[in-house]
Order: sequence, then structure tokens, then C-alpha cells
Amino acid sequence: MRSTSALPDRALILSVFIVASCGLAYELIAGALSSYLLGDSILQFSSIIGCYLFAMGIGSHLSRYVKDEDTLTRFVDIEMLVGVLGGISAAFLFLVFAWLSAPFRTVLYALVLVLGILVGMEIPLVMRIFNARQTEFKELVSRVLTFDYLGALVVSLLFPLVFAPRLGLSRTGFLFGMSNLAVAIWTTWIFRHEVKNARQRVLGAAMLLCLLAAGFAVGEKLTYIAEKGLYGDEIIYAKTTPYQRLVVTRWKDDLRLYINGNLQFSSRDEYRYHEGLVHPLMESSPWAQSVLILGGGDGLALREVLRYPNIKHVTLVDLDHAMTDLFATSDTLRQLNHNSFHDPRVTVINQDAGRWLEQSDGVFDAVIVDFPDPSSFGLGKLYSVPLYRLLAHHLSENGYAVIQSTSPFFAPHAYWCIDATLREAGFNTWPYHLYVPSFGEWGFVMASKRRDFKPPQHYRLPMQYLNAATTQEMFTFPPDMQRIPVEPNQLNNQSLVRYFEQDWDQVIR
Amino acid sequence: MSGLSRRRFLLGSAALGLAGCSRLGWSDLTPMVETPGMSMGHALRDHRTLPPPSASYKTGTVILGSGIAGLSAGWQLARAGYKDYILLGGPEQYGNAAGGAFGDLRYPKGAHYLPLPSMESTHVRQMLQDAGVIEADAMAERPRFDERALVHAPDERLFVHGRWEDGLLPQHGQSAQERAQQAQFFKYTDQLKQAHGADGKRVFCIPLELSSTDPQWLALDRQNFANWLDQHGYTAPGLRTYLDYCCRDDFGALASQISAWAGLHYFAARAGQAANAGEGAVLTWPDGLNPMARHLARSSQGQWRDGMAVRVDETTSGVRVLCAAQSGGQWRTFTIEADHAICAMPLHVAQYVVPHIRSYGFDPASHMPPHAAWVISSFLLDGFPAEEAGVSLAWDNVIHGGRGLGYVVSTHQDITWAPPPKTVFTAYQVYSDRTPQAARQWLQQATPQELYEEAACDLKVVYGHRLRQCATALDITVRGHAMASPVPGFLHNAGLQALRAADGKVLFAHSDLSGFSVFEEASWWGVRAAQKVLG
Repeated sequence: MRSTSALPDRALILSVFIVASCGLAYELIAGALSSYLLGDSILQFSSIIGCYLFAMGIGSHLSRYVKDEDTLTRFVDIEMLVGVLGGISAAFLFLVFAWLSAPFRTVLYALVLVLGILVGMEIPLVMRIFNARQTEFKELVSRVLTFDYLGALVVSLLFPLVFAPRLGLSRTGFLFGMSNLAVAIWTTWIFRHEVKNARQRVLGAAMLLCLLAAGFAVGEKLTYIAEKGLYGDEIIYAKTTPYQRLVVTRWKDDLRLYINGNLQFSSRDEYRYHEGLVHPLMESSPWAQSVLILGGGDGLALREVLRYPNIKHVTLVDLDHAMTDLFATSDTLRQLNHNSFHDPRVTVINQDAGRWLEQSDGVFDAVIVDFPDPSSFGLGKLYSVPLYRLLAHHLSENGYAVIQSTSPFFAPHAYWCIDATLREAGFNTWPYHLYVPSFGEWGFVMASKRRDFKPPQHYRLPMQYLNAATTQEMFTFPPDMQRIPVEPNQLNNQSLVRYFEQDWDQVIR
Repeated sequence: MSGLSRRRFLLGSAALGLAGCSRLGWSDLTPMVETPGMSMGHALRDHRTLPPPSASYKTGTVILGSGIAGLSAGWQLARAGYKDYILLGGPEQYGNAAGGAFGDLRYPKGAHYLPLPSMESTHVRQMLQDAGVIEADAMAERPRFDERALVHAPDERLFVHGRWEDGLLPQHGQSAQERAQQAQFFKYTDQLKQAHGADGKRVFCIPLELSSTDPQWLALDRQNFANWLDQHGYTAPGLRTYLDYCCRDDFGALASQISAWAGLHYFAARAGQAANAGEGAVLTWPDGLNPMARHLARSSQGQWRDGMAVRVDETTSGVRVLCAAQSGGQWRTFTIEADHAICAMPLHVAQYVVPHIRSYGFDPASHMPPHAAWVISSFLLDGFPAEEAGVSLAWDNVIHGGRGLGYVVSTHQDITWAPPPKTVFTAYQVYSDRTPQAARQWLQQATPQELYEEAACDLKVVYGHRLRQCATALDITVRGHAMASPVPGFLHNAGLQALRAADGKVLFAHSDLSGFSVFEEASWWGVRAAQKVLG
């Protein structure tokens, strides 16, 4: 019916389809990312969608200022811009969040606004291109909008089912950015006689495409870089396991382990923590031959236990085999824990401590409990009367157990709640604390079925921190850290988790 | 160990999101559908001919049924040292307290929790102490319970307009007036917990039989609960949806269909407390009440016999029970002669098993309480479907104004840090939008696929396609006559009163005698019947 060939028309329709897909994808990425990072997904999604649609309106309005003879050229330019901005959006936002917390929302909405404006210009421009090619109006509207909506449908289905779970958000972003750039290149090529400076544009777009492809390839790495910004130090290991995210950083000779962003130890002063955790108990149990360690997948408490020649057997139960594997295989970390996982006296069991205590038998002369802080309902169950009763079944009648019990200074309610819970479970307790520079004031509770415990006056083995004087200080609580009346942790209300949250809330803002 | 900050904490979860962690399976579910007791019950109703008895047994007392009532009767007899009895298992072992298992993952096939026992429920306290669930001070105001059975936090949550809230009463976006009504209602029912009638008895008591018979209070039984709420100005929609939910959950019918006395009893009679749990705590196990049923059954281990009662007749010296049992697809029958029979079966069955039931003062035509249908659907999940960021799965998860009654999580009581690799979500359904008869008709002709769609209705609202990604098996239990509904007038039902008072050779024990289906009532009537036998 017209002189123009069918190929350019089809190319344009395909572009509409891809452009529409990408437009929706960026909106979904921004919504999903802000839900992940800020929580409250309903608020995030609806405000992102609102902002994006509004910006598209602005874009449609602005499209009128593009001159008729420039429509194709500007369309290609906009594709390139959308491709780059949209492509990097997820990775960029994540980096911003990691480095600077305050302006995150500002950056997010600014980006959504700019992307929305650009995406809003796309369809009006394509319509004008068709129009200029003398397509009938009713056919034009029907063809363009059909493929616009079709593209949206495809992405709205593929995003939650394939892209987000398979590729993750940052790589999904790069992938769609690349599609936009491909549209730019292809359109320029097909209309090379109409687009101004077609050669330069194709070249530029191709370069950008390569950049995004590189971004796609290292998308995972970008997460590391973002975290490096967060942790400040070089990341030498990072892994997301089914249970947690492990990150090990190094700055000069300082190795640090973070779990879900929380510092677990710094190699500069971990000796204080682990001497305090292990030796008051071990020094008081000279007859001990078997030790049970719950948690402690870094092998550092294990290292201290293995220093005693009287110890014949140590069982270490840690949920996450990625953690124990890491500390058993990494050269740097093996140096730190003195290769403790390879000692023939050690048995490692990767199981949930609660389940293991329930299902296994075996009585130990000493038990060391080094669980993460009670920051979730799941972890709170590991600080409960039923768990401590199970523990009692595995502890010999005159043996001692020691429990890592968060900070008596920063989280006093939580600390004394753990003590009260142990008493509720029938233990006698002897709370103590010490100062670990990278943590601050830290607390432990010694517990036993027997009634007597005397803090050691001397240590058989050489210590860096412990002696008679520091030990005596550990078992004395100064006036600002005195016992406060708290309820024991009951699983029915998980008071410990609430205490812990409230206590730390007071410390951090 | 140290240094919490929301930003860092969230970054941990965001990193998980970025890395992409959900699997992409898409499995088709073929539900297993069970209709316990239906074919046997219908054969009984239709007077199917059975072969003549091939054996005969003699015993002191025969207990007909192994639900909570029957098991409680056996428990009480055994406690008194009375061993000369037979406990006939009936068409379904454990009845509404049945449980199921996918491998080693247990789940409920009926009732799933027990409120803390009231002061008057000494029989329940005794059972719990026996089972080790009460650790100390069994008869004190606040006994100490085994924390493994006390429901763990977070215990319940409500899905309102696409977001989760703690508790089951809607809070977010409720007007001040609505909140005031909620507070007023609970203030009033709290007062009722202490209210006594002119006869000095508590107005609302569990067991129901110990409640005051003061006519002033019994008058509440003459109107329906919705009506009473209207009259007292409790009209806030959020509160009313919640109250309808409670009535559906416990009574299988809407507030407008049940007695106002029963509606208030639900809130005012549950006054039990614990030394080591908060107000309103409940006891629960992965497979609901099944561990309690199994515990009770232990006392009748040597007395247990498979089979169901077909016909009970009084003889000059006692009773003669014709029993039927199916083995290898073949029916065989036998008789049991006893001094006493305890009919621990629902009354819609008893009316056929005890043909002369009218002679005890119970006329099925006018006295039969309506029985609501109940469907219990357990989804085996390979992993937990993702929750919204910052929201924890609770034990009981309810959709505000939802079609179903929500779902419970079988592994909630696990004492573990990490969620287990597999779990079971059990969803509950009642059909209060239609008559019990219409519901049963629908259930009888529904295909497994239709039942599945219905069972998943609440879960789909919450998880959408994520449910299909995780669900690998589904066990549906259809209970056509699951529970009696306490409709207006149920307290004045002369037929029920007559069966409660029956003290001859044939005794009755079932929660139907109270007019609603809860553990405490069923066990009460079981214990009472046993006491009558013991004299």
C-alpha cells in the first residue's frame, strides 16, 4: 500500500516490544530493590510505580519538543540513555545504599524520575516515526499499543519467575540495559540514512553495550564491592549460604568475620574474647576429657580448647557447613585458628544445635555455647529453658557450661535475661564480663548443676589477657552493670528477643 | 555477636535477594483425599446387611469410639484400676484428634490446639500432668507447663489489606471508635470471666456442665450472637469480622447462626493461666491434639479392639453390642456383651447405632444439633515460601475476612535456629456460607482438584505462585459432620440434657452433649461416663 518496505516497520514494532519490556523491567527492579532495602513492599512498590508513571507523563509531554526531522535520531539517543541508566540502576542503587545511607531515597526517586521521563518519551516518538512513514492512524495506534502492552505482560511474568530469582536484580538490570542498546544499534542500522551521524551512534551504543555486558559478567562482584564500601576493608571472602551471609575482610593484619553484617571477631583482639570464653571454664575443669562446642564455626574457641593436653575429644556442632569448611580450608583462616579443624581429636557436626541436642546422646565434661546473639525468633529458641534443659542432659554432673550472652553494658536486659533463663532451667550461674576493644564490654555466663565455682587464681597455660587480677575483675560487676530484674526467656513470648531489640535500639539511634 | 544496625542487617537480606535464591520448580499436586468414617457411616445409615456374628466377647464395660471422649473414659477407668473393659476403635482412630505424617513430619488432621485449662477443668489438668505437659502445680491457678508445648512466639498474625499485623484483631487503619469498641468488648468479656450467677457458679465455665444455671444468664441462649452484638453497640466491622472468624473457627457457623451464650462463652470461659506463659497462651504440638490422644490411648492399650459398633441393645443383664470390622475388604461381625456401654460417638451416628435412643429422651428429629463440615488440608512444603521483608511466619496465620480459617505451621514448635528444610502448612475450611447439608453435598461431589483449589484459597492470597513452587504433596481430610454448632436454644435442648443425665446401662460421652466440639468438653463427658460406671 505504500512505498516503504515492510522490514523497517517490523523492526520498529519489535523495538516497541523490547522497549516496553525494558520500561516495565526498570520499574520492577526499582520497586523490588527498594522493598528489599527499605522494607514495607506495598509502600515501596506503589510509590515507585506512581512516581514512574508520573515521570512517563512528563516524558510524553516533553516529546512534543522533539523536532519532526529529529524523531528517529532522538529515539536512538533516548534508547542509549535508557539502556545505560536502566542497565546500571540496580547495581548503582545497591552501591549507593552500601556507601551512603542518607540520600538513598533521593537517589532512588531521582533515578526513577529520569528513567520514567526517558521511557515516557519512547512510545510517543515511535508513534511519530510511524506517522511520518504515513501509517494510517488507527492502525498505528493499534499496532504500537498492542506490542507495548504485550511487552509489559511478558516482563511482568518473567521478572518474578525467571529474572529476579535466576539472575538477581543487578544482573537483570544489565540484561535489560543491553536490550535497549541493542534496539538503539539495530534501529540506527536499519534507518542509517535517516539517523544523523549513524556511524558514531552505532559505535557509541556498541561501546556502552560492551560496558553493560561487562557489568553483567561481574554483577556478583559488584555486590562484593558494595560490601567493601560498607565494611571499609578489603573483602577476601564472601558467600551467601542457605542460612547467612559470610564476609571476611582484611585490613593490614586485621582479619574480620561478619555474619549478616554483624562483626563476629577481629583478629586483633579475638584472643581476649576467646580466652575469656574458654579458659575460666577449662581451668576449673582439670579433669575434663571431652568438650562440646555449640556454634563457634570459626574454630577459635576450638583452638583454645585444644591447647589442653588432657582433652581427648571435642565435638563441635555448627549449623552452617560453609562456615566450618571455610575455616578448615582457607590458609589465612587456618593460621588464625591454628588449623584446629584438622586436629584428630575434633569431630565436626553440621546440624542445628537444638535438633542435635535433642537427637543425640553423649555426656560431656564441659560445654561451650557460642551462638550468635538472640536477634531473631529462631535464635531466641537457642536461649530457652527447653534448650538449656537439653543441654543439662549432655553436661556431666560436676561439669561447667559457659554461654556467650551478648553485652551486659549495651544490652543489660538481654544479658540478665539469659542468666535468669539458665537459672530457670535449674542451673547455678556465675555471670562475668570482659572488655573486647572491637566489641566493647562483653558478657558470658558460667553455669553448672553443681553449686560451687571459684574464678581461677592462676592458669596452667600462658595467657595474653587472663591472670588472677583480670579474672577477678571479670567476675565483679561495677555499679553501672549490676544485675537488673528481668523475666526469664519464655518461648511463649520470646522476651529475650524483645529485650535484645530494645536494648540495642537504645544504643544505635 | 555485636553491632546491629538496620542498614547492615537489611544489607544481609538484600544481598540474598540480589544473588537470587528461590528455586523454580513447578510441581503438579495430586491431593490425597480422605473422608474418615464416611463409607462406614453411610453403610450404617442405609442399613446395609452384614454377615452374622462370628464371635462373641464378654466384658464389664464397652467404650464405643476412640475420639477424645472414648479415650478419656478409658483413661479414667484405668486410673481407677478398672481393667475389665473393651475400647472399640470405631471407624477412625482418634476422631477429630487424628494426625498424619509425611515421613517424619507430623501434622494435624483435625483439632490443633488446647487452651490453657480453666480452674474447673481438673480432668484436663490431670491428663496434662500425666502426659508431663504440666510440670508443676497442676491444680494451682498458674501451673507450670512444658514450654515445648506452649505455643511459641510469634503465635498469630493477621493478613489485612495485603499486609501482616500481629494478633488476630485488625489494628492498622482502624478508627478510634473501632478500637474503642474492641477494647470495650474485651473489657466486658474479661469481666464475664469473673461473673457468677445467683446459684454461686461461674456464668461461663469449661466444662459447660459446671456453668451457672441462673435463668437470667441462660436467657442469652434465646438470641443469636450477632443480634446480641448489635444490641450492645458492637457494630465495628473489623471487630465483627474477627468475631465471625472466632465463631466459624470453634463452632463452624457465623455469629448470626450461633447462640449468644455460646459466643460469649468462647471468650469468657477460657480463663486458664500458666506460670510460664502469657494470657491466652495455648498448648499445641506439630500434629495438633494427636499426642494427647495417643497419650490417653496408652492407658487402654490392652483393652483396644478394632471395629465399630453397629447396634446397641439393652438386655436384661446389661447390653449387647453388635460390632463390625473390615479386614481384607471383607466385613465380619461379632458381639460384645457388657454391663455398660459408653457411646463415645457423635449423635448423628448414635441415632442409628442406638435405635431406641428416643427412650432416653433424645428425639433425633427435634434434638439433633446441626453438625458443620470441616476440611483440613496439609501441604507438604519443600522449603518455606518467602515472606515479606521483615515479617516472621507465625504459628497461626489468618486472612482477615478470608474464605478459609487460615493455616498453621507444623514445625513452629521446633527448638531450632534455622527453619527446617521441609515443613507442613495445614489450612482449615468451614462452609458457613451454606447449610451443613449443602456443604456436605458439595464436598461429596467435589473433585480432588476442586478441593485443592478450595484448600489453597488462603495460602494463595498470601503467597501466590510461591506456594506452587514449594508445595510437593497435599493431604485433605474431609469431615462432613465435624462439629456440633451451638445454635440458639442449644442450652435448653431437652434431648441433650437427657443424654447427659443418662445413668443406666447405656451411657453417652461426646462433645456433642455440650453442643460444641472442644477437647475439654469431650474429655469431660468421657470422664463423667467412666465415673458413672465406677459408681
